[in-house]
This record gives sequence, structure tokens and C-alpha cells, in this order.
Amino acid sequence: MAFLQTIENLGFSQWVKQSGSLWAFPGILLMHTYGMAVLVGVIAAIDLRILGFVPAIPLSPLRKFLPLVWLAFWVNAITGTMLLMADATSKMVNPDFGIKMLFIALAVITQLMLQKRVLADPEVDRRPLTANAKMLAVASLVCWLGAITAGRLLAYVGSSTGL
Amino acid sequence: MSALYDILSNTSHVHLLLNHVPTTAFTVALALFVAGLALRNDMLKRTSLALFLIISAVAIATYTSGSAAEAWLRGTNPMSELPPNVLSNAILEHQDAALWATLWMGVTGFFSWLTLWQWKSVRKLPSWNMPLVLVLAVMSFVTMSRAAYLGGHIAHVEIRPDVVKVHQACLAVVDEETKHPGSIANAPANCPWQAAVDQVAKTTGEPPPYQSTARAVGDFVIGHTWMWPTLETLHFVGLCLLFTTVLIVNLRLLGVMKVVPYSAVYQLLPIGMLGFAVNLITGMLFFLGIPNQYNANPVFYWKISFVLLAGLNTAYFMLADDTWRVESNVDAPAAPKIAAASAIFIWAAVLYCGHMLPFIGNAF
Repeated sequence: MAFLQTIENLGFSQWVKQSGSLWAFPGILLMHTYGMAVLVGVIAAIDLRILGFVPAIPLSPLRKFLPLVWLAFWVNAITGTMLLMADATSKMVNPDFGIKMLFIALAVITQLMLQKRVLADPEVDRRPLTANAKMLAVASLVCWLGAITAGRLLAYVGSSTGL
Repeated sequence: MSALYDILSNTSHVHLLLNHVPTTAFTVALALFVAGLALRNDMLKRTSLALFLIISAVAIATYTSGSAAEAWLRGTNPMSELPPNVLSNAILEHQDAALWATLWMGVTGFFSWLTLWQWKSVRKLPSWNMPLVLVLAVMSFVTMSRAAYLGGHIAHVEIRPDVVKVHQACLAVVDEETKHPGSIANAPANCPWQAAVDQVAKTTGEPPPYQSTARAVGDFVIGHTWMWPTLETLHFVGLCLLFTTVLIVNLRLLGVMKVVPYSAVYQLLPIGMLGFAVNLITGMLFFLGIPNQYNANPVFYWKISFVLLAGLNTAYFMLADDTWRVESNVDAPAAPKIAAASAIFIWAAVLYCGHMLPFIGNAF
């Protein structure tokens, strides 16, 4: 707890939390929101394509968007860490935060499996998609939906300074 | 310039500017649509469908500006009074009528969009399509006309039926007295409108408070603790669906994954439209819940302005046939590229304004 308090007392954490600058809490949260839109949005589009929506788009060209997905992931990992530092003592003991991290961990594992087993297959558009691929797509949608819900609820559950 | 700034920063004025569009422009669009159906002219049909789409976006702006106009009239102090002869009940009745009209117009806009989308994406339009849009457009026209009619009653005493009746009775008396002087005892010399207004107010007395549907919906939203977080989460999910569709479709036009033809990424659009629909509904519920959070918020104005631009941008893509020449491994022409870059900028701006509502303005 003392460790969390030390982090929260850092100059940077205090700036994020209390400076009132639009670049601090609002700006970092803005980047977190853009990151979420790209990360979850593009992954959801690929998941929906695997589940049979929009069959006109082949899966293999959608691989071009994967660097964008991972860029968004790292933007959110970094901005998320900044937001966490500013509110470490309450977020780290908030069970909802643990649930969010669990959903994200599962979602990332699912994404890596999807990329390795489905998207990386050069024959992906020439063969019908397996039930396994579809299961992974459903799992991915559920995990990201869970992560968004838990993330939004962080502003409501437990003591917090977030919005 | 400063006069223009004064006009645009007066929310009542903005409402007066906007509120003629959903009635007058919609009448023109409806006439074009009927003409297109009668003449079997596809160009007319598509143009009027695009107009329905744009006008439904204007209707959203009109509704929100109306709420802002009400806040301007009532003032921020709960004890402050309405201007003379403005009836509180007339405002609330107009607001409910406008809510229904906006709803009908939103549904009309959605199915107009769907029809334009199907025009290019399916070989033959389903037979229910045009009749459905026609029925919805007529319903929009009727409900919006009613909202406009009731809106007039807020400030114009000369069109309130009860006032007009008293006024005309007075005019008849004056007329009779002029023709036959001395025939009527205590005949008035003239008939000021204010006298008719005062007499109506005296005979009807204090009217019972109007039960506002808009407020009832708003009270439901803020009266349940689970509502706001649930709506926010849905708003976030909708945002992801919308934003990603905008990105994939427009980045294709700008040159990413060129192997995929435009006609294929075009199939993604319903996912984006689903996201927009979710966000429009949840957004309207936020607005109905705590209107004053948005009414006095300049960032909200910007957000709505960008949504209007997004409506124009979408209408461009629905009508522009040059995007359809963008086949597999073909670079898009300049015009669609500019529209694509604008689309990404506009939607990023909508997201920015929405996010900044609590930080720049006074929401939450």
C-alpha cells in the first residue's frame, strides 16, 4: 500500500490527477478512448467477418490492419498505466479493475491464437472457417465487451477520481 | 461578423434558424420522392433519399437546439420567469411533439440510408423498401408539421385559437359599433391583442401542469442508478463499431489493403450504421436525462455540428458513383480520397467533442 501511495505521490501522477490541464487526465483518457475504438473496433470487425458477416471481404487483406490494432493496444497499455499511476491506491484494490485486466488478458491470448491459427494461414480464404475459429471469434467479442463494460464501470464502482 | 457571432451564440436564434429545415426542406424532399416514384426516375429517388438522410441529421440538431432555446427562455435561475405571453405548457407540448417527430424522422433517415445502401449492394431492391420509406416520410411530415404548429403557439399569440376567437369577437363588436354608432353599450374603441390574451388567461385560469413525455423519459434515465453506466457502456460499444467501419472503409479508399475492392468494404457499412443507431439512441437518452448538461455546453454544439457534417459526408458516399470504380488493386480518384480523409477527421472530431464534454464544457 505504501508502494502504491509512493506511485500516486509522484510528480507525474499528481500532474495527471490534479493539474487541470487538458493534456493531463482529459488528454490521456482521450487517447485511451481513441485506442479503444481502434483496438476493439478492428478486432470486432475481424471477429464478425470470421463469424460470417460481410463475406465479400477476404480475411487475408484484413491482416494489414493488425499493426494498427497492436499500435492501439500499446497506446492503451501506456495511457492506461498513466491513468493507473494517478489513482493507484484505489484502482489497485478495486475488484472491478482486476476483472478488467482479466478480460484484457484473455482477449489478448484469444487475439494471439486467432492471428496464429486463423489469420496467419495462407489458405484462410480458400477453406471454410473451422468451428474453432468461430469459437475464438466469439470468445474475443465476449472478452472485449467485458473489458469495455468493466472499464466503464471503474468510474462507478469503488472510490475513484475517474470519469 | 460580431452580429453573426451574437446570432449563433443565442440558442433561441439557432433554433429559429434550424427549425424551418425539417418542415420546409422535408416538404421539398417528399415532393421529389413522390415525383421520383411516379416518374420511375432513379436519380430523383436517390437524391430525395439522400435529402431525407441529411434532414434527419438536421432534425437531431433542431431538437437539441430547441431544448437549448427553452433553457435560454427560462434562464438559469429556477425562480426566473418566462417572457410575457410565453406559455410553459406550450413549450412542453411542443417539445413532446418534436420528440416524436425527431423519432419518426430518425427512422426515416435510417431506412433512406438502408435503401441507398441496398441500391448498390444488392442486385434488386426488396419490394417493401420504397413503400416503407414513403409511409415513414409521410409520418415524419405529419408529426413534424404538428411540432412546428405547436411550436408557433409558444410565442405567437396571434395564432393561438382561443386568443384568435376572443380577438375576432371583439373586432365584430367594434365593426358593428362603427356601422351603427350607439347600438352597443360600452363598445371598445379598438381591440388590442393583449386584451384578448388577458381575457383568455382570466377565463381559463391556471392550466393544469402539462405531463411531459420527454421529462418522463429523462426521469427514468436519471432515476435508475444502473441506467447511466449501462447507456455509457453501450455508447462505447457503438463508438467502436462506428469508428472502426469509418477507418476500414476510408483507409481502403486512401490506399490500405488495395486488393479489396470498394464494393466489398461497402458491405461493412451496416455495422457502422448499427453503431451510429446505438449511439444516437443512447445519446438522446443522456440528453433527455440531463438536458442542461448539454444545452449550455459549447463542446456539445461542436459535436452536433460535426454530426451534421458527417451526415453530408455519408450522403456523398451514398450518391457518389466514382467510388464504385475503385476495384481490386485500383487507386481511388481524388474526390473520394478527399471525402475519405474528411470522414476520418469528422468522426474523430465527433469522438473528441463527446469525450471533452465534461472537461471543456460543464457536463457531469
